[in-house]
Amino acid sequence: MIQLFFQKFKESSISLLVIALFLTGVGLITLKSINAGQEGTFFQLSFFKELFFLIPALIAFITVFFIPRHTIHRYIYGFYGCMIILILIPFLGNEIASTYRWIDIGLPFGFQPSEFAKWIIVIALARYLSDHNLEMNHYSSSIIPIILVIIPAGIVLNQPDLGSAIIILVPLLPMLYWVGARPFHLFLMMAPLVSILTAFHWFSFTLWAIIMVFVIYKAKPNFVFSISTFFGNVFLGLLSPILWGMLKEYQQRRILTLFNPEIDPLGAAYQIIQSKTAIGAGGLFGKGWGQGTQTHLKFLPVQESDFIISVIGEEFGFLTILILITLFSIFILRTIRLAFNVDDRFSSLVLVGLGTIFTAHVFVNFAMTVGMIPVKGLPLPFVSYGGSFLLSSYIMVALIMNLSIDPKDY
Amino acid sequence: MLKAANLIPQRRFVVVSGVVVMLMFSLVIRFFYLQVYFHDTYKKKAEVNRIRAIPLNAPRGLILDRNGEIIVDNYPTYVLTAIPGEIINKEKNFQIVSYCTGIDTSLLKTNYKKYYRGRFLPARLAKDLTFDQLSRIEEHKQELTGINYQQFPERYFPGKINASHLLGYVKEVDQAIIKEISEKEKYIYGDLVGWRGLEKVYENRLRGIKGVHFVEVDAYGREIGQSSDYEKENPVPGTDLQTTLLIPLQAMIEKILDGKRAVVLVSLPETGEMLAMVSKPDYSPDLFTGETTVDEWQEIISNPNKPLLNRMTHGLYPPGSTLKMITAMALMEKDKINYSEKINCNGVYELGDRQFHCWKEEGHGEMDLEQAIAQSCNVYFYHIVQRLSIDEWANACNEFGFGQRTEIDLASEAKGVVPNSRFMNKQYGRWGWSKGHLLNLSLGQGELVVTPIQMMQFINSLAMSGTTPALHVVKEKTHTIQTVHRYSKQTWNRMKKYMRNVVSSSHGTGNRANPGIPGLNVAGKTGTAQNPHGEPHAWFIGYGEKNKKRVSVVVLVENGGHGGVTAAPIAGRIFEFLFSSNENMNLAFSL
Repeated sequence: MIQLFFQKFKESSISLLVIALFLTGVGLITLKSINAGQEGTFFQLSFFKELFFLIPALIAFITVFFIPRHTIHRYIYGFYGCMIILILIPFLGNEIASTYRWIDIGLPFGFQPSEFAKWIIVIALARYLSDHNLEMNHYSSSIIPIILVIIPAGIVLNQPDLGSAIIILVPLLPMLYWVGARPFHLFLMMAPLVSILTAFHWFSFTLWAIIMVFVIYKAKPNFVFSISTFFGNVFLGLLSPILWGMLKEYQQRRILTLFNPEIDPLGAAYQIIQSKTAIGAGGLFGKGWGQGTQTHLKFLPVQESDFIISVIGEEFGFLTILILITLFSIFILRTIRLAFNVDDRFSSLVLVGLGTIFTAHVFVNFAMTVGMIPVKGLPLPFVSYGGSFLLSSYIMVALIMNLSIDPKDY
Repeated sequence: MLKAANLIPQRRFVVVSGVVVMLMFSLVIRFFYLQVYFHDTYKKKAEVNRIRAIPLNAPRGLILDRNGEIIVDNYPTYVLTAIPGEIINKEKNFQIVSYCTGIDTSLLKTNYKKYYRGRFLPARLAKDLTFDQLSRIEEHKQELTGINYQQFPERYFPGKINASHLLGYVKEVDQAIIKEISEKEKYIYGDLVGWRGLEKVYENRLRGIKGVHFVEVDAYGREIGQSSDYEKENPVPGTDLQTTLLIPLQAMIEKILDGKRAVVLVSLPETGEMLAMVSKPDYSPDLFTGETTVDEWQEIISNPNKPLLNRMTHGLYPPGSTLKMITAMALMEKDKINYSEKINCNGVYELGDRQFHCWKEEGHGEMDLEQAIAQSCNVYFYHIVQRLSIDEWANACNEFGFGQRTEIDLASEAKGVVPNSRFMNKQYGRWGWSKGHLLNLSLGQGELVVTPIQMMQFINSLAMSGTTPALHVVKEKTHTIQTVHRYSKQTWNRMKKYMRNVVSSSHGTGNRANPGIPGLNVAGKTGTAQNPHGEPHAWFIGYGEKNKKRVSVVVLVENGGHGGVTAAPIAGRIFEFLFSSNENMNLAFSL
């Protein structure tokens, strides 16, 4: 048994696990630096907790790595159903920080089911898309996949957790593309969102309308379809001010402060400004471990989880950031290559989906700390502090490594 | 279906990988831009970030009387503040604060909104906390995140005098009133700003300079400790304001006038210094500090006697017979009057088809100018004023400062009205008015209205033969000299002689203003001003002189009846107070 495991392990892309462990190490070193300025016993601080969380994460890694792929394939719809129930449970419990993301499991820490929803949905999607070896260039064949992601995304959005909702939605596009959907159909799926976003300024909306006309003309669908697509989107754009009014105030503020962070230096943009200041002050080599003044004077909010990159940027500098981005790139590109090389379509789709989740997490997290996109509250895989996400990340690594091996008898 | 073959076109693999590479590369560019290209900018910014300047409140200067006695003081109070960004559960915190202090949560919320300046700046919730309230808050400190209390110097009135209109008051700067402040950049919410009276006029002197201490703070604005890099600057208290007021005199007058609607002004004509300024009814000067309840406020606003009105500078009254002196002087200087000319007063004077009455129905009999002033005969003046045109008369009034501001150092004052021919044309039309109006005006009736502070300047001019420094409450190095040029020395002296007769002759209307102190000469003029609001207003203006030390007095009692009966005795008590003992004389002439 153990021999079998090692045999499977040797055949897998061990480099992925090495990168993951290295990144976790960087995270732990950073947490130790943050802890230096905090009060509390060793066991109450994030460094120890993260180290402690690594144990279940590695156990989960080994377990998931060992599950045969046909078992995963067979039971994934059941998992999907359980997952939907799980993400609904927090709504029955108590509000934590005015959100419903956590399940109280009677331990000193909570449990965040939406982290697990991300990869369960990807696997369920992969099964549907590979099972129904449909003519993917037919538009109607993407309807069930859309429903598969929209339901959990809607629930998570109501928790409210915009970041996780986006992470749930995003893998759908590359997975459809991967499996052969026509780019024009993907364009049609994206169009409503773009219509809503561009509607806030007449110039962007006009530009978008021209692009729509051009793309629809190039794709040459039938006349009624073209007309209804075009005017449907224009109508949606005109509706968007009403949709905007339905957003939570903090979400509106986050979006607005992206475009002008100086609007409210002590409000929503505060985090971005502080984070940029910390990162910029770090320079090429950083201020050194434990030397970040921004970090230690606690100018940075949520520096242990979502904004850990600001601490790394300040204390370890641009070169370390460059190394981190490079490692993440290698990790993701390797996953995509494995997806390209693997023999069966189900595994290939799972790998692409998971690669997308990692890409989205990494890009959103890095980008928000430097003000490229609004603050989204997404942690950085392996590096950020957080038990559920660490566990989830290692499960995803296990899935990638497990499914990328040639299916023998494992 | 698990075995569905994986047939991904190379192109799609390249596109997906390419997207990932582009995203990651954009991150690298952005971080390079921030950390290497703009490193210096952010390094400086980070330095400033961790040090925060905390302002230290400077106590306002005290307001003193001429002998250094304190009129307005400061005392330390405690204010309760909330830092919005630190409060975890606002509702619960307010409930605890309400429980500890007994202050209603709705009031806490109102204040929180009123003084809100930003997420990490303290907003004031309550002030004047007692020691009991503070200790109860201290007990609940663990639950109250973001709620702190600080010392704050508040205005305090030791209580001998009100002088509320004169002293004015301070207001706390909040969102509503910061818009009305001229140098708004110097204030933050919760600061005190002089809003009325001396507090306003001398705001720059009283305010002081805020200090600052530098602390290292965390992202929530919480202090971590004193910064070692920057030195603390202590606040500089405001400069004390020494006024020319005399507290014992002011206190005595306030007591005499209690329950009346009246104004009494006392000054030194040689210097223009004000010794006492009383406008009744007034209000307690701490009305605007401390918590004023809605009921208290309603009572003051709806009081028909208008306690908030500063009658000294904003009350407009007909001056009555006191103005006969101007009519007389204008005629004397133009040689239009023969001092021995006698005019018979039989109680009534007819002009055209109208009858003008003397206040003494049976008439005064044969009168010369001296007697006519002493006994305030109307008929005599009806006769002689016709030798003047209305504009000549109006010019004479303007020269004594009527119709203009006295420029006393109070926040504002009314101008009053001196009607001339242009005014009358406007009011009545070109042909709508006649000499009859002038007859009334010359007696200080009709459209002519003046403020008591103008009367003060008028009597000072008379006492000083036309040259007197501008009235003031705070002594400066120089004061503009107000001069009435036109009249000769004889005219001034003759006028003074007549005014002495008003008080000292047996028939004089003002003889109740004379306390009968040996060596004290009192001169003055009474006035009984008819008005549509009931009994006439009682006036007395005059001055007392002993050993070359002069004090002038203006007394006005609204609807007080006869000036000689109601107003003159009040002036008499003031002269008695000041001149009967050397002690009080020394206090009054000390500055």
